[in-house]
Amino acid sequence: MVQGMASAFVAAFEILSFGAIIVLVVLGLGIIASMMGIFNFAQGEFVLLGAYITYLAYSRGLPIWVGMAAAPFLVGALGFVLEGLIIRRFYAAPIVAMLGTYALGLIIRESVRGLIGGFYLTVPEPIGGSIDIGTFHISAWRFTIIVVTLLVMVACYLLLSRTTFGLRVRATLENPALARASGISTPMIYGTTFAFGAALAGLAGALIVPVFSLFADLGIRFLIQGFVAVMVGGVGSFIGPVAGAGVIGTLSAALPWIMAPVIADILVFVLAIVFIKFRPQGLLSGKGV
Amino acid sequence: MFSDHNHLSRRRFLSGLAVTSGALATGVGSWVVRPDWANAAEGPIKVGIATDLTGPIAYAGTADANVAKMVIKEINDAGGLLSRPIELYIEDTASNESVAVGNVRKLIQRDKVDMVLGGITSSMRNAIKDPIVARGKTLYIYPQLYEGKECTPYLFCTGPTPAQQCDEFIPWLIKNGGKKFALPSANYVWPHTLNVYARKVIEANGGEVVFEEYYPLDQVDFSATVNRVISNKVDVVFNTVIPPGVGPFFKQLYEAGFLKNGGRLACVYYDENTLNINQANEIEGLASCLDYFKTLTKDDPVSAKIQAAYDKDYPGKILFAAGSAATGTYRGLKLWEAAVKEAGKVDRDAVAAALDHAKIAEGPGGPAEMVPGKRHCKMKMYTAVAKGGNYEIVGRSDGLVDPKEC
Repeated sequence: MVQGMASAFVAAFEILSFGAIIVLVVLGLGIIASMMGIFNFAQGEFVLLGAYITYLAYSRGLPIWVGMAAAPFLVGALGFVLEGLIIRRFYAAPIVAMLGTYALGLIIRESVRGLIGGFYLTVPEPIGGSIDIGTFHISAWRFTIIVVTLLVMVACYLLLSRTTFGLRVRATLENPALARASGISTPMIYGTTFAFGAALAGLAGALIVPVFSLFADLGIRFLIQGFVAVMVGGVGSFIGPVAGAGVIGTLSAALPWIMAPVIADILVFVLAIVFIKFRPQGLLSGKGV
Repeated sequence: MFSDHNHLSRRRFLSGLAVTSGALATGVGSWVVRPDWANAAEGPIKVGIATDLTGPIAYAGTADANVAKMVIKEINDAGGLLSRPIELYIEDTASNESVAVGNVRKLIQRDKVDMVLGGITSSMRNAIKDPIVARGKTLYIYPQLYEGKECTPYLFCTGPTPAQQCDEFIPWLIKNGGKKFALPSANYVWPHTLNVYARKVIEANGGEVVFEEYYPLDQVDFSATVNRVISNKVDVVFNTVIPPGVGPFFKQLYEAGFLKNGGRLACVYYDENTLNINQANEIEGLASCLDYFKTLTKDDPVSAKIQAAYDKDYPGKILFAAGSAATGTYRGLKLWEAAVKEAGKVDRDAVAAALDHAKIAEGPGGPAEMVPGKRHCKMKMYTAVAKGGNYEIVGRSDGLVDPKEC
C-alpha cells in the first residue's frame, strides 16, 4: 500500500515535471504570440542558444550557475537586436513573419550544429542526484525545474498585471495608436517584449540542457508541442498559453503510462486538434493578462 | 568558342591546383582526392565514397570519409593497386535519402567509379543500393553495424550483424547482469529486427524479456518506461533507443536508482562518441559489444598503428570509432583492395568473385574475412564496459565470429 502510494507519487511527480518543462519553454513563446501577435518560429532556437551558452560556460571551466544565469540575459539581448533589425519589419504581415522567423531559427540552429560538430554533449546539473522517498527516487534537478517554473510564472504574471511596464505592454497590444498618443514608445515596448520572450526561452534552454543534453535539434523538438500548447491555451493572454502548455505537457508525459508510447505521441495531437475544432478560441480566450 | 577555351583553361587550372593541393570540390557536396602520381597507360582506379558529411550524423560520415582518405593514401603511397593509382570521389549523402540518390548517381554516371562504399543508416543503404547495384551496375560496400538480412548481389557488408553483436554478448549479460531483460527501443527497422534476434538469444540462454516497447524517434521523456523497469525489477536494459532520446533515458534510469540497485545497461551501438552524451557516473557499467574499441590499442599493435595513423591525420573530435562505421569502412576498403589484387582487374564481376572470399590479416580489432557466398564479414568481437568515462574490455571472442546472414 505504501509502495503503491509512493509509486503514484513518483508518477505524479514525473508527469508534473515534464509539464513544467513544457510550460517553461512555452512561456516566452506565449508572451510573444499574445502580446505582439507574432508566431516566433525561432523560439526553439532561442531555447537552443540558452542551452548552448550554458554548455559554453561549463566547457570553459566556469560554474554551471554562471552560464545558466547569463543565458537569459544574453539571449534576451540578442532578441532585442534581432527585433530591431529584422522582426520589426514583419509586424504588418504575420505570415511572412512566420517564414522570416523560421529562416532565422534555421540559421541559428545550423550555426550551433556547426559549432558543436553535430554531437550530443552532456552538461551536468548544478544540483545533481536524487531525492529518496522510501525505495523510490526522484530527480533533484527536475524538482528544481518545477520550483523555478512556478517562480518564473508568478513573476511574469506580476510583471504583466501589476507593474507600469506590464500596463504599457498591454496598452500597446490593445491599441497601439492610442498608446503612442499617450506617450508610450511602442517600438521600444515591442523590442523589450520580444527581448523578454527571448530571455525566457534562454532561461528554459539553460535549465533543461542538463536533462536532455545539448544537441542542435533541442529547440525544434519542443517547437511543435509549444505551438500546439499556444493554440490549445488560446492566444491573447499570458495565462492562456501557460494553461495550454500545462495541459499538453502533462498529457504527453501521462499518456505513455497507460498506452503504447507510439500511439500516445499521436493521440496528444489528435486530442489537441479535436479540442481546437470545438473551441477555436482556446481554453482561456480574451485579452488581459 | 571563347567559352570553350575558357572552360578548358579553367579545367587545366583546376587540375593543376588539384595536383598541388591533392583535393578539389566538383560541385555542392562533391570532393575528389587525386593521387600525386599517374599511370599513363590505364589511368586511375576510381573509388566512390557516399556518406553523410552534413546533417545530424555528420560526425560519423566525416569520420568515414577521413578513414577512406587515409586508406587510399596509404595504398597510393605503397604503389597503388595493379600499378594504378586510386582516385577518391567523395559525395555527401547529407543524412537525407532524396539528396543522396542524386549525389550517388553523380558518382556512377559522371565519375564512373569502380566501387561505392558508404551509407550509414539502413534507410540510406536501402535508398542508394538500387542506384548503385541494379541501375548503376557497380559494386557496393556497406560498412555499418546493422540489423542484417541484406542479401542483395554485389552488395557486401563489412560491419557487425545481430548474431555478431548478440551471440557472445547476451550470455555475458545474463552472467553479469541477470535474467530479466527489458528491450526499450526506437521505432524503426534496426531495433525491431535486432530485437527479434536478441529475444531468441535471451530466451535460449534462460533469460526472459519482461517488456519490449517502441518509442517515437524524438521522444525525450521516459518516465513511464523507467517506472516499468524499476517496478518490474529488470536486471538488464538492452537499449536500442537512439539520440536524442537515449541521453535523457539513461539519466532518468540513473536518477531512479537503476544502477544503484545493481541494474546493467547494455547498448550495442555505444562507442567512444556516444560516451559523451551522459555524465560518466550515469552510465557506469554500461556494456557494449563491437568490433573495435580504442582501448584495444593498448595490447593490439595493429589496432594501435591504425589508430595512431588516423589520429595523426585527423586529430580532434571526429573519432575513429566502431559505431560510426569507421572500422567497417577501413575493413571494406582493405578487403576490396585484396579482392582487386586477386582479380587482377576492376571489372565488377571479377572483383565480386574475389571479394566473396577476401581476407585481411590486419584490421582494427583484428583480422577479417568474408564468408563465401554470404557477402558478410567474419570479425573478432569485443565486449566492453564503461568505467569512469572510458571503456574496459571484459570479453573477447575466441576467433572470428560468424555473421550468420544470408
